[in-house]
Amino acid sequence: MNKNLDKILKRVQKASRYTGGELNSVVKNPEDVSIRYAFAFPDTYEVGMSHLGIKILYHILNQREDTYCERVFAPWIDMEEEMRKENIPLFTNETQTSVKEFDFLGVTLQYEMCYSNVLNMLDLAGIPLKSADRGEDDPFVNAGGPCAYNPEPTAEIFDFFTMGEGEEVIGELMDAYIEWKKSGGKRIDYLKRIAQIEGIYVPCLYDVEYNDDGTIKSMTPNCPEAKKTIRKRIVSDLDKVTYPDKFIVPFSDIVHDRANIEVFRGCIRGCRFCQAGMIYRPVREKSPGTLVCDAKNLIESTGYEEMGLSSLSTSDYTKLPELTDKLLELTEEKRVSLSLPSLRVDNFSLDLMQRVQKVRKSGLTFAPEAGSQRMRDVINKNVKEEDLINSATLAFNGGWSNVKLYFMIGLPYENEEDIKGIADLSHKVVECYYESDQTNKKRAPSVSLSVASFVPKPFTPFQWAAQNTMDELSEKQLFLKNQIRNRHVKYSYHQSDVSVLEGVFARGDRKLNRVLIRAHELGCKLDGWNECFKLDAWKQAFSDCGIDMEFYTRSREYDENLPWDFVDIGVTKEFMKNENEKAKKAVTTSNCREKCSGCGAASLCDKKEGCVCYE
Amino acid sequence: MNDYYLTYKRGDSIKYVSHLDFVRVFGRAFRRAELPIAYSEGFNPHPLLTFALPLSVGYTSECELMEFVMEKELETEEIKEKLQKAMPIGIEITEVCKGKTRMKKLDNALYIVKAESIPDDLSEFLSLDSILIEKKTKSGIKETDIRADIKNIALKDGCMEMLLSAGSRANLKPEVVINAMNKYIDGYNSGECEYHRKQILDGEFNPL
Repeated sequence: MNKNLDKILKRVQKASRYTGGELNSVVKNPEDVSIRYAFAFPDTYEVGMSHLGIKILYHILNQREDTYCERVFAPWIDMEEEMRKENIPLFTNETQTSVKEFDFLGVTLQYEMCYSNVLNMLDLAGIPLKSADRGEDDPFVNAGGPCAYNPEPTAEIFDFFTMGEGEEVIGELMDAYIEWKKSGGKRIDYLKRIAQIEGIYVPCLYDVEYNDDGTIKSMTPNCPEAKKTIRKRIVSDLDKVTYPDKFIVPFSDIVHDRANIEVFRGCIRGCRFCQAGMIYRPVREKSPGTLVCDAKNLIESTGYEEMGLSSLSTSDYTKLPELTDKLLELTEEKRVSLSLPSLRVDNFSLDLMQRVQKVRKSGLTFAPEAGSQRMRDVINKNVKEEDLINSATLAFNGGWSNVKLYFMIGLPYENEEDIKGIADLSHKVVECYYESDQTNKKRAPSVSLSVASFVPKPFTPFQWAAQNTMDELSEKQLFLKNQIRNRHVKYSYHQSDVSVLEGVFARGDRKLNRVLIRAHELGCKLDGWNECFKLDAWKQAFSDCGIDMEFYTRSREYDENLPWDFVDIGVTKEFMKNENEKAKKAVTTSNCREKCSGCGAASLCDKKEGCVCYE
Repeated sequence: MNDYYLTYKRGDSIKYVSHLDFVRVFGRAFRRAELPIAYSEGFNPHPLLTFALPLSVGYTSECELMEFVMEKELETEEIKEKLQKAMPIGIEITEVCKGKTRMKKLDNALYIVKAESIPDDLSEFLSLDSILIEKKTKSGIKETDIRADIKNIALKDGCMEMLLSAGSRANLKPEVVINAMNKYIDGYNSGECEYHRKQILDGEFNPL
């Protein structure tokens, strides 16, 4: 180990998160490969290593003999301080190589509040922050993940973006790199070459013009290689796509320390606030056979004690009984516990949970999202009050006494009654406990009420909606707090200032690149961590750049050019408009399995390849 | 009961893994190797592993000792081979044996300390009657005398060999001794140090 590095590792907390060497981490000789790819998760190791996408792409890249993919994360504050003091540039976990020496630095953008970490990591790596300032020897800095669907707030930072699922396109990018290297071209030649690959967006090949009011007048390709619209990539058949048979097993504790199998992608529900529900369409399931095989591989290669199912809504998997029967057989034999997130509470799932957990009863979570029936219809959350009461009664009868309720405030078309409804519903759940057959009523029920602030996201029917200001959100939080008159209800809420900033960047345009760089200069980083978030610095960054946050939180007209209009996710703008109009009238839309609503995602399907849209 | 023990080395690449994390590494390695380790009873069964002496973060070692219980009897060579295959790089299993160890008798440990600078003469330091160091406890900073726990320090091959109290009765880390040397020996500055555990011994200084 490098002497200087060894010295500082002795002084920092949890040093093993910087040194690699975990079981199943890939060891290659960097001399033997043509491409060195640094895969960055712009948050701490504990958060990044819990993410499934990084495991999939790490596996796929390292399957190539010509490529060595290594990992890099945002160092914690103590480590960063030591690195800066000793002039140690950002390095990868596997070989402790400076990230600047790599051919690619690929960043996954999972949430807007990680943008400042991206800049801080580039700075630590000694790579110019802006794409335009990078030279021929710098890595290609690229991004993917859900936030890449509106790439404009970071368009001047990244050299290119990948829209959609990366499994197939990443190979095409590597092949193009090998060819480009052989041809001896310049940096811009590679970018123009990949601009022709479906799903790849190269921001420097587009010019944006603005109207006097700051809205977008036009966005035009400035070279023939650049496509007018960028269509997202999807994997048609999840049974045929590569899934890792090994996960890296971290030494230290991480957020989700378990083997995960991915049950399906997409969601049939169509909640109008939910970006994931739109961008991951259409729904594609894996077969139970493939999943059991994935599970077996992972259990054997990792030695994990816990296995989890990954999807947006486990209960919507069509073959759940068959899958869980088979998995339980496997997990019991191997002494692995099965964790089942995102389950709708009904007779089947409670029975399942009894089987899975045996004696231990952890809390159950319900997400009605809104307090009144009218509001639940507005957001198209097809849950009735009696559904919740029935589920809660079932849970209490089954011996549970802790439930968690998730709600949102600040939703479009919201009024006082809707917020009051959140408190009323929580009270009804408490009553429900005392009316249930719960035998041990001496134990008090605990209803944890978790209330998030709504953030309008691109590619949702609410993408035109106004976002509440920090003051409005605080006022609503306080109003709700005063409505709660039961000591068994524990109320917690998110910081409204973070939500507003998140909303600004979610629907931002290219002008925000300046703000990001300024915020970085002012020391903003690790914004997702309460102890690190600096609202004042962010406010100063906006004012230093002469940019008004309210421009981004305002409501938009249908005819305004939105910064992300050039991205085609399959679901059409017409469908979103229609959904928004229905929201205004509190009219619901059926889920994909009941009736196809013609959202447009079916156009992405290749029927022969096993991709199913429920038409 | 199928009692076994094993000895192993911990190399440079794995020295920043904490003791608690290390226990989990072993538990998972047994599972990957599909070796039927015995589990404790209760709601949260854990594999029956007993480590002789935790190793501090940042240290390497060639004398780690661990006892474990198997659900059924297996050849020691088979256990060694399968377990080694399931281990991350940096752990070398040196021996697997049947039976129990004398780990309860553990009283001392021998460390090799590689410092940037080594004192010319230790006789004065070792002739001190008391060596006081400040120790952080829950209730604040406390002064402790570590003299009795320094059994010997020898200079050898450009390194320091420290024989120190170890185990549950009294445990002294070599880095604490280095701090004391920096404080007590006039003009001495150790600089950065590397720590390596060479041997664990009983009260009569017989290796375990």
